[in-house]
Amino acid sequence: MGRMGRECRRARDGMPLHYYAVLDERARQALERHLDGCAACARFWDETRRLLGSVAPSLAFPREAEVDWERFALETARRARAAAPGKSRGIFGHAPGLPAALGWAGAAAAVLLAVGLAVVLRRPAPAFPPGTPGAEATGQSARVLQEGLARQGAARYLRDSRSILVNLLQGPVRCRKGGGDLDVALEKERSRDLLRRKNLFEGTLDGLRDRRLATLVAQLEPLLLQVSSLSDCAAAQQIRDLREEIEKRQILLRIDLMTREVARSRFRA
Amino acid sequence: MEPDDFTLMEEVRADREGAFETFVERYQRRLYRLAYGYLHNHEDALDAVQETMVRIYTARARYRPRSRPFTWASRILANHCIDQIRYRRARPSDSLETAQEARPGRDLLAAPSDATPETEQARLDQWRLVEDAVARLPETQRAVFTLRHFEEMSLQEIAAARGCALGTVKSSLHRAAAAVRDRLLGSRKAAEEAGS
Repeated sequence: MGRMGRECRRARDGMPLHYYAVLDERARQALERHLDGCAACARFWDETRRLLGSVAPSLAFPREAEVDWERFALETARRARAAAPGKSRGIFGHAPGLPAALGWAGAAAAVLLAVGLAVVLRRPAPAFPPGTPGAEATGQSARVLQEGLARQGAARYLRDSRSILVNLLQGPVRCRKGGGDLDVALEKERSRDLLRRKNLFEGTLDGLRDRRLATLVAQLEPLLLQVSSLSDCAAAQQIRDLREEIEKRQILLRIDLMTREVARSRFRA
Repeated sequence: MEPDDFTLMEEVRADREGAFETFVERYQRRLYRLAYGYLHNHEDALDAVQETMVRIYTARARYRPRSRPFTWASRILANHCIDQIRYRRARPSDSLETAQEARPGRDLLAAPSDATPETEQARLDQWRLVEDAVARLPETQRAVFTLRHFEEMSLQEIAAARGCALGTVKSSLHRAAAAVRDRLLGSRKAAEEAGS
């Protein structure tokens, strides 16, 4: 290869770094000069840009753009807060990084604050005068947001419950310990976990206005309690009873229909 | 000015108003992509991100600034995803939806609802080529290339995340990008020859 070939090779070698705009200044100028005078390398540069440009997140994560991330973040933070009360700090506990004495001071301050709030809350709320456009708009958007969060929280709860029930009914394996009994330890653990996590949804479920959704959520709780109180090796008859109850109320079908309905509006940007 | 990662995490620990929301906004998409890599399912990845954020919030007092907040978060996410995968393996009949989604060839499932079958097939074909080209890279190059292209991290961020010099990141990215480009070019030429 002659002198021109070496220049082309050098230019093509520098193209990836040029694509990421991290080629040093001298090399960048040399490359651009070369591209001005070499049609083959200019075409190769276009090709490089096109190919590397096609390796984008949208290729690997096609549905990422469908998510309204701002709303998702708000809901996530809300769920996290709903899960936290009473766990990370007790009533006389203290915030991370503060000395224990401040925990007591905080508790005393909380008592004073509670008394103060009780006095303040007895007065009529000022905010917007009733009937003004501001009051209506604020109230309406808060209601819409709360309702949306409630529906999504409930749908998640339904989906998790469904998964447990389906496994329990379709996939239990024989227990190693006892002859003839079914191993439901995993489902039992998940039910307990879900019931514990129900605290996560409780804040959002308060705003639930859809009666069908609320009824379904309410009907699931005794079922999950039943599962969580089974022994690790449950008798086959217990599972049959549970199945009958679920089938009688068409729980799985109703969950499917309901979660699909909610999913249609979920996190649409 | 936006607080840096460590400052933000300190603010989350101290329960500063709005700090956790900022934290979630900053990391949620990167965590989503990581989760998607494990679970190959859009809805499950979203759930995993929420679950991880809940765990982070409840465990925020236990965070120690020995590791970067994102590293800590991604470890929590990875544990959650691994649990999910184990659970699926233990109970393959998890649900009709997931069973359907787990069909071979559906690992990149869930085309955008407005995509036509043709555009989705084209995307899938293109992705397979990229995935194959990236999979052939040596480990360091693969990591750097993935972080740059799919995590959209800057070179400085990659160097900090991997604990290596900026020059190392540059040279790895340079080699990786050239190799991926050459493989994609080669695949296209092969396809053209086969078509003609």
